[in-house]
Amino acid sequence: MENALLLGLSRQIALDRELEVVANNIANIGTTGYKADGSVFEEFLSPTALNGQFPAAHRRLSLVHDRATWHDFRSGPILQTGNPLDVAINGDAFFVVQTPRGERYTRNGAFQLDADGRLVTSEGYAVQGDGGSIQFQVNDSKIVISDDGTIRVREGADPKSDAQRGKLRLVRFDQVARLKKDGASLFTAPNGLTPQAPLATQKVRVVQGALEQSNVRGVAEMSRMIEITRTYTHIAGLLQQHGDMRRNAIDKLAEVPA
Amino acid sequence: MRALHTAATGMMAQELNVQVISNNIANMRTTGYKRQRAEFQDLLYEQVRRIGAQTSTQGNILPVGIEIGAGVKTVGTPRIMSQGTLLPTGNPLDIAIRGEGFFKVQMPDGTFTYTRDGSFMMDAQGRIVTPQGYVVQPGITIPQNSTSITINAQGQVSALAPGTTTPTVLGQLTLTRFVNKAGLQSVGDNLFLETPASGPPQDTFASTDGMGDLQQGSLEQANVEAVTEISDLISAQRAYEMNAKVITAADQMLQATSNLMR
Repeated sequence: MENALLLGLSRQIALDRELEVVANNIANIGTTGYKADGSVFEEFLSPTALNGQFPAAHRRLSLVHDRATWHDFRSGPILQTGNPLDVAINGDAFFVVQTPRGERYTRNGAFQLDADGRLVTSEGYAVQGDGGSIQFQVNDSKIVISDDGTIRVREGADPKSDAQRGKLRLVRFDQVARLKKDGASLFTAPNGLTPQAPLATQKVRVVQGALEQSNVRGVAEMSRMIEITRTYTHIAGLLQQHGDMRRNAIDKLAEVPA
Repeated sequence: MRALHTAATGMMAQELNVQVISNNIANMRTTGYKRQRAEFQDLLYEQVRRIGAQTSTQGNILPVGIEIGAGVKTVGTPRIMSQGTLLPTGNPLDIAIRGEGFFKVQMPDGTFTYTRDGSFMMDAQGRIVTPQGYVVQPGITIPQNSTSITINAQGQVSALAPGTTTPTVLGQLTLTRFVNKAGLQSVGDNLFLETPASGPPQDTFASTDGMGDLQQGSLEQANVEAVTEISDLISAQRAYEMNAKVITAADQMLQATSNLMR
């Protein structure tokens, strides 16, 4: 008898979680390099009343619970900004950032320089090149980042000078789905997942003067949200009816015939 | 309902975004203004089911977990220090920088500030000053009754003394560069301050060592592009509305729950 309540409750808890995921996606619709999350649910079979008299089909109760959130690693739209230190990756790869907690990976290429002329993220973490962090000199101008991530500058006044300041390190992962979000647009690799150099066949290109926007699709999130609220309200209605039914039953059954 | 708070962070972020955009649009016609951009990042994640947790004694591990994010935060509003277009004005004391560098200005308290706004004037003593009357470094005085003031690409100021035909060089304008010019602090009046993030100022002259050239009789316009700002404004407004809808949705769900109890 109570099963209907439990079933409804399990679905409502799952929907509540899903709304939190959707809310976080929508809150990050303007976050550079953000990757949307999705929820995965699974059926959770629970044995019902131990009474073996029930027909077999009624013996199991299928509840729902959220099994996982997954990251949607599709590329976001690339927005031209014209800022020479804005870089986007066209293809399946990540920039490498050195944080005090260790190496992190990001698709957010809104880089800055710090007071020493190092290439850093907005949080001040050093962006890694092939040989450690990337260092600029004070008289560098006309920063050009080529397709493969090589950074060239004009050093001093000589218009013909073409000094190399390093090459952005790009990495890819065999099982990209295992990356964990670390906040601040960063991802961390769990144990056993090692970054690898992009394959030549992947055709990963670095685009200078552009940023990869959030890949959250507003329309999809909105419709998912409507679906969540409607289902939630619907289940609340079912539970309500179930409660009414029980009250009726109690009232009716307990009625003493006059 | 965490979704309520998550959506609130989204609304606050977009509100700040609109604030930044409106300041850019308000300064569309400000000489030497550099546009700002709001940068966002996602907040920390709560690991409801940790990736890699063991699910059995046989060593099976969870390939994916449940990570619930807490919303968005603003990480900074960096200035985009790109070149603005030069507008010819014909005024001899209007100077624009083409390329790297800032004019150095001495404040009344003796400290220095830096600006890209080269709409200079002369004060009562003939010194080259900003519209607020602060002296442009290194403090060049133009003698009385001088005619045809010229400022060349290197920043050398020269003028014709009365009754002469050869111009006298009066001094050379200082141009300052920073390693990280986006790290300068804005103090209003088109002026910037040195910060620990910008690196120390390096004083030099125009057209030397990769510095920009000076162009007399021109002003550098703001690098704000109306089309970009308006489209940014539209997407900020839509994002704000979507976050508001999330709050409504969470509210409806709460209402449905509370209606259960009659």
